Amino acid sequence: MTKIQLNEKEKLIASANTLRWEIGESLHDSIIESIYTDAAKIANKVVKVKEQKKKYSYDQAIDRIVTSKWLGFPIMFLMLSVVFWVTIEGANVPSGLIANLLVDTLHPVLKDFASSIGTPSWLSGVLIDGAYLAMAWVISVMLPPMAIFFPLFTLLEDFGYLPRVAFNMDNLYRKVGAHGKQALTMTMGFGCNAAGIIATRIIDSPRERIIAIITNNFSLCNGRWPTQILIATIFIGGAVPAYLAGIVSAAAVVGIALLGIIFSLVVSWGLSKTILKGEASAFSLELPPYRPPRILRTLYTSLIDRTIFVLWRAVVFAVPAGIVIWLVANITIGGTSIAEHFTNWSDPFALLVGLNGVILLAYIIAIPANEIVVPTVLMLTVLVAGIAGVGSGDGVMFELDSVADTSAILHAGGWTVLTGINLMLFSLLHNPCSTTIYTIYKETKSIKWTVISSILPVMMGFAVCFFVTQVWRLIAS
Amino acid sequence: MIDPLLALLVAFAVFGIFAVLFWPGKGIYAAYKKAKRNTSRVLIEDTLKHLYDYEERNVHSTLRSIAGHLSVSSDDATKLVQKLQSMGLVESGQDGIQLTSQGRSYALRVIRIHRLWERYLADETSVKETEWHLEAEEKEHNISIEEAETLAAQMGNPVFDPHGDPIPTKEGEIPKRKDISLSGLRSGEFGRITHIEDEPQAIYIQLVAQGLYPGMQVRIMDVGKNRIKFEVNGEECILAPLFAANVHVVPLLKQEDITSEFKSLSSLRKGEKAVVAGISKACRGPQRRRLMDLGIVPGTVVTVELESIGRDPVAYNIKGATIAIRKKNADQIYIHPKVGEPRAYKEFSQEELN
Repeated sequence: MTKIQLNEKEKLIASANTLRWEIGESLHDSIIESIYTDAAKIANKVVKVKEQKKKYSYDQAIDRIVTSKWLGFPIMFLMLSVVFWVTIEGANVPSGLIANLLVDTLHPVLKDFASSIGTPSWLSGVLIDGAYLAMAWVISVMLPPMAIFFPLFTLLEDFGYLPRVAFNMDNLYRKVGAHGKQALTMTMGFGCNAAGIIATRIIDSPRERIIAIITNNFSLCNGRWPTQILIATIFIGGAVPAYLAGIVSAAAVVGIALLGIIFSLVVSWGLSKTILKGEASAFSLELPPYRPPRILRTLYTSLIDRTIFVLWRAVVFAVPAGIVIWLVANITIGGTSIAEHFTNWSDPFALLVGLNGVILLAYIIAIPANEIVVPTVLMLTVLVAGIAGVGSGDGVMFELDSVADTSAILHAGGWTVLTGINLMLFSLLHNPCSTTIYTIYKETKSIKWTVISSILPVMMGFAVCFFVTQVWRLIAS
Repeated sequence: MIDPLLALLVAFAVFGIFAVLFWPGKGIYAAYKKAKRNTSRVLIEDTLKHLYDYEERNVHSTLRSIAGHLSVSSDDATKLVQKLQSMGLVESGQDGIQLTSQGRSYALRVIRIHRLWERYLADETSVKETEWHLEAEEKEHNISIEEAETLAAQMGNPVFDPHGDPIPTKEGEIPKRKDISLSGLRSGEFGRITHIEDEPQAIYIQLVAQGLYPGMQVRIMDVGKNRIKFEVNGEECILAPLFAANVHVVPLLKQEDITSEFKSLSSLRKGEKAVVAGISKACRGPQRRRLMDLGIVPGTVVTVELESIGRDPVAYNIKGATIAIRKKNADQIYIHPKVGEPRAYKEFSQEELN
């Protein structure tokens, strides 16, 4: 560039600067205003609007009912209860079928095949008892509920009802510094936290979205409901007279889920007042017109985008974890397995918070999915307590059909009512599964938020279990 | 087994220690960070800013004003000025301590970072208005000029800070003060008094007797050859052009005082409609952009469609879409009290009503 040109350029920039100072701050506003004015003028000239009154009033009629003072909340609870009921009831049968096929039938077949071609037992242990079994377990317990829950949820979304739920709930969520749509992502979290975190994309305000991501883990996900129900039946139900057992243990599980909602609200409030105070925030909520849901498309997208997507991530993590689970139970140092070393070492701390080493180890190695926590706990308890005649060997996860047998194993492992209560609390308040952690990272692209959303709940879990335990012991002694 | 009471006590003690150490703003860690702040860089930069400020206001700065401004002893202030002199940033003459051109450009650089950071806090974060200045006071010493330039580029090189003060360019240019004399306004225009010249005194006494002081809003009613008639705080006032030349004002756009004339969107009840007059300046950053993108611009007709339980948020029909807006934001959207009142918008607001 020649010198003259350079001078010209500098002059140009200088005069541009002067002009910008003279024009002032409201330039952007004026531009947007003039765009709208021009667009309105053009539209008035060339667009004819058809009479739409009828459709409009139909929308308004629905809105008036679903957001009304008296009917708004009952309709919401009814809709969501139906969705959950259908999910839980509907998933039982296919889950059983898949487990029957993959775990009860295919697993022995594979083992036999491996031994018939002379595979060394450690290799078939790692691959079949470890990797394959973890994967089979995750698929059989995860797939059916998600394949039912997500399409139902997406149908409600497609119809246009869910934005109205956000509209109803926003008053509450505003008070804790969050977005009304967090009610939706939280509900989605009851299906699967990873899917709930993907769903936070609907929250378009940066601060509120991070709040929704961090607190999503407080929604008791599909993988944790069976744990809660099993433990509540054994320990809470077992502690009251038989005729009350059913209702009391059900109430305990619902109580844990409600506690999760309360935690999510309290933590949202705390986050918005402290570490997230300065993050940018903007609220608006569109209430789109109702429309008949496109059922086939919904089925397709919710199965592919949500169910298969999440399941695939879970399987990817389940395979290596399955190997680790098998290895910690089978590799021995000085005649004792790694699992036993760990449980012995961590027992003092674990007992202080009212859990035990087996539970801690299970939560560490069963990180890919909450669904495999109970099978891992059972396998480890049998291993550590040296119970003979149950399960199918070290490192092979198992579940028992009979609640009474499960109860016997856990009691033999030294569990008390307090352990049961703490496990239920810890199941609610612990780090998200690896699938969810990975999803959080993918969605936030930030190590900081990923670490906070993983560490915060587990710290809270230890704190809550600790206080419950000490107070319990104080009262009991 | 550990005694539960002991365990609880230990846990509370640990929690208490953590709270004392890390309590936001008040803990020992926060106090330590605050104490570390007064480094020599901070003192130097604050002194330069102070000198620049006095220079702008045509006041002579002294050692005492520096010591007072930085809250240090006058001994320390003397040392500081000596240091600045040896660095070639200031020189002391008969008019007190003055900036050299090098010192001025350093001061402007600090001011640039300060105002850029305020702009950033206002536009890209939810930090409260009252905290902008304080945060920028700290930040201006902690970011390098390169980081500031990256930030400026990201924000599209803003030229004003959120208080309306110009941001110096990276070459150290800053526009001359924008105020003009009162006689420069034409009839019907608005202005805010920024400065009343105290020389010559005879004129100054006259002006003070008229009850004029900086910060007042004026509206010119009539400009004649021998007199300027204007309204100030609801009273009529007449000055000769010679006198008016000694009153400095910044011209105001009429939009800026919409606060006093219009109602806010949140005052509408279900089924009512109104025409948007504007969005308050207090609503800024992403929230302002969001509202404008949705079509909340002057002239848009807005109808209240649905009220949620507790009347917050409320859903409005804006350009055919139903949008829920929280009360806090609706408070900052101003409306014309009646549809079709402002003539300019009558034409298409009628269309939209059909």
